[in-house]
Amino acid sequence: MLTAKTLSARDPALAARLGWIIATPLLLLAAMYYTGFDPRLLLDADTLATLAHFAGEFFPPSHDPVFLASLWHETLTTLAVASSGTLLAMLVGLPAALLTSRALDRDVLTGEAPSRLWHWLQNSLRALMVILRGVPDLVWALLLVRAAGLGSLPAVLALGLAYGGMLGKVYAEILEAQPRAPAAALAGSGASRLAIFGYALLPQAAHELISYSVYRWECAIRASAVMGFVGAGGLGLLMDTSIRMLNGGEVGALLLVFMALVALTELISRLARHAVESRRGGLVLAAACILLQLAAFGWLGPQWQDSPFDVGGLLRFAGELLHPNLAPAFLLKVGGGMLETLAQSALGTAFAFLGGALLALPASQRGPRWLRYPVQLLLNILRGTPDLLWGAIAVLALSLGPAAGVLALALHTSGVLGRLFAHTLENLPPEPEAALRVSGASPVARLAYGLLPQALPQWIAYTLYRWENNIRIAAILGLVGAGGLGQQLYLALSLFQLGNAATLIAAMLLLSWGVEGISRWLRQRLE
Amino acid sequence: MKAKIALASLLLAVSAVAGAAEAVLKVSAIPDEAPTELQRKFAPLGSYLEKELGMKVQFVPVTDYAGVVTALNADQIDMAWLGGFTFVQASQRGKVVPLVQRAEDAKFTAKYIGSVEAGIKTLQDLKGKRFAFGSASSTSGHLMPRYFLQKQGMQPETFFKSVGYSGAHDATVAWVASGKVEGGALNASVWDKLVEAGKVDPAKVRLLGTSPTFYDYNWTVRGSLDKKLQQRIQAAFLKLDAANPEQKAILDLQRASKFIPTKAENYEGIEAAAKAAGLLQ
Repeated sequence: MLTAKTLSARDPALAARLGWIIATPLLLLAAMYYTGFDPRLLLDADTLATLAHFAGEFFPPSHDPVFLASLWHETLTTLAVASSGTLLAMLVGLPAALLTSRALDRDVLTGEAPSRLWHWLQNSLRALMVILRGVPDLVWALLLVRAAGLGSLPAVLALGLAYGGMLGKVYAEILEAQPRAPAAALAGSGASRLAIFGYALLPQAAHELISYSVYRWECAIRASAVMGFVGAGGLGLLMDTSIRMLNGGEVGALLLVFMALVALTELISRLARHAVESRRGGLVLAAACILLQLAAFGWLGPQWQDSPFDVGGLLRFAGELLHPNLAPAFLLKVGGGMLETLAQSALGTAFAFLGGALLALPASQRGPRWLRYPVQLLLNILRGTPDLLWGAIAVLALSLGPAAGVLALALHTSGVLGRLFAHTLENLPPEPEAALRVSGASPVARLAYGLLPQALPQWIAYTLYRWENNIRIAAILGLVGAGGLGQQLYLALSLFQLGNAATLIAAMLLLSWGVEGISRWLRQRLE
Repeated sequence: MKAKIALASLLLAVSAVAGAAEAVLKVSAIPDEAPTELQRKFAPLGSYLEKELGMKVQFVPVTDYAGVVTALNADQIDMAWLGGFTFVQASQRGKVVPLVQRAEDAKFTAKYIGSVEAGIKTLQDLKGKRFAFGSASSTSGHLMPRYFLQKQGMQPETFFKSVGYSGAHDATVAWVASGKVEGGALNASVWDKLVEAGKVDPAKVRLLGTSPTFYDYNWTVRGSLDKKLQQRIQAAFLKLDAANPEQKAILDLQRASKFIPTKAENYEGIEAAAKAAGLLQ
């Protein structure tokens, strides 16, 4: 007979695993209760009818000439904002990385005594980068729009700040991951920081630096497409109006453009990362980038001249932000918003794990061909529609409140995870499954014993990474009425209650760092 | 190289915007209705002002109430059509001068509406239901209805199941009609216009009541605008005469019988209400 003792002898990790298996659903149930998200709502006739009715109005997409003209205009603005924003981010990120990367520090390279002052400066700069990337780009845009006026300039600056903080960190890490010997040799002969970078690290790291920057540009397109939701120009501007006015035809046309834009940038991004491999490709890429940037400035420049950027207003605004509201009653309200946002992000990500897992197999090359393409199309639609837009649509289906945020996160993230999960499946070593097949195992058994055990750790790691991302999204979904901290922030900024806004942004940062910490801890346990 | 060009262009763009000449009058309006509707409403008024002032008048569309306030305070626009509340915000945050208001704005009201399908007949029926205001910065779509609801003992956040912000008056009607919310509040003037135009389906949306009166909208200029120009703008508005068919068309689009001079004191009541409702510190 099996006793608990023999069981634990067979499987020493049993207790921990059982703990997780019991704790996770309990936590998620609590989150469901807190956000008021009832999965049964998704199958509710009323909800489906509302959604079907709204989706039905997407067709035919609006082809009113006035609307199409502004659609074209805003599409170009979106592209231009993303491109100049990425360039600005590189101009922020590269110097930051050069100053903070340990790969360039003399004490690391040559074993000299470290300079206290230098380390202190480096750490301050690192802290600044953490704040820059911790505040979501959309919140930066919202702040800049409030501080200094509308238009595409705040959007460019927002991308420059948020992505600059991100690039600063990633560039520094890329440099640190390179072999040390050449840099150490140069440092030993007394070369400057810049020289060590230029002659020892850049030649090794250039590909990776460029690839990552191109990837960031791809993300910037998606980000700038929704900046208009806070008045910062681009396609989001039209989307915001069309959704508010419940104009289905316009939303349909906008969705098509969004989707086309995402597909196009992914294609360009892939081509660009491939081009870096060869010298000729690199030159073509460099020329294309310069042309793109010039075109972007040519397009945006006149817009900026039309609406001057108010530096005085920006400074005064920043001054007002420095006085956060710490009244207990308000802090309590913010605490409630934090819990709501946390619950939304965890629940949305968990449902997306299930959704992604269900869709991954048919979407991967292991799936049957007739099923693969429709499922891939579904994943592309889920992923290609920005999360904020899913939020607006979910608000229509489930009404205002946190439950809509959960649904939006679940839908968008299912698309993201489904694709990543499918890649994992495709890259698994084929032997275990082949062995099972040869020995006559059923398809279900092959999946359960041949594929899943290998794929699962990677899947969970992806999901946790995505959760770190989703906590920031959950924090801004309130901008479209989906509850959480974003809704409070939008109100505070609309009413010029900057003390409240400051507290709310601090809460967002805390939440995002907290989730990063939890996720890192969980991922370490996974390994 | 690339970085240099970029930096140079950025500096150029930023420096080129410093001096704004007064040859063009930049006008905006709080987006209390759909942007296309705002443009349509403004077009004839804009060309009238161009003729009267002898200068180019440019309409700057802005999608966000607070954005108009910021833009006016930042001298990015010269004149704006503000609501009572946005006017109070703008004068708290900078120097602005109110010039004229519509005769109707001295006795403005808000309308409460409800969903027919949900069986809403009175405000009380909305207890525990979903409710939409317009923009959070709207006077007749948020501040005053909220203030009057509170005075009747209905604290929106607890009385309703949820409170949303549709962003604009016509959007609030669309939300109630679609069943997205069971009730809402909006500007009486926009409500009347939508009803006249047959854009409200009586099978879906029902009028629940009208609020007491308050001062609302006005045309405000930035304080740093040339004093003479301010007077000429005011005179041009006051001269609009309903007896002149061409000018009547302009007045009709603005939903005004005539324009009258206004002053900041008219909006003290709004300021007090905003403080009482906790929307202003």
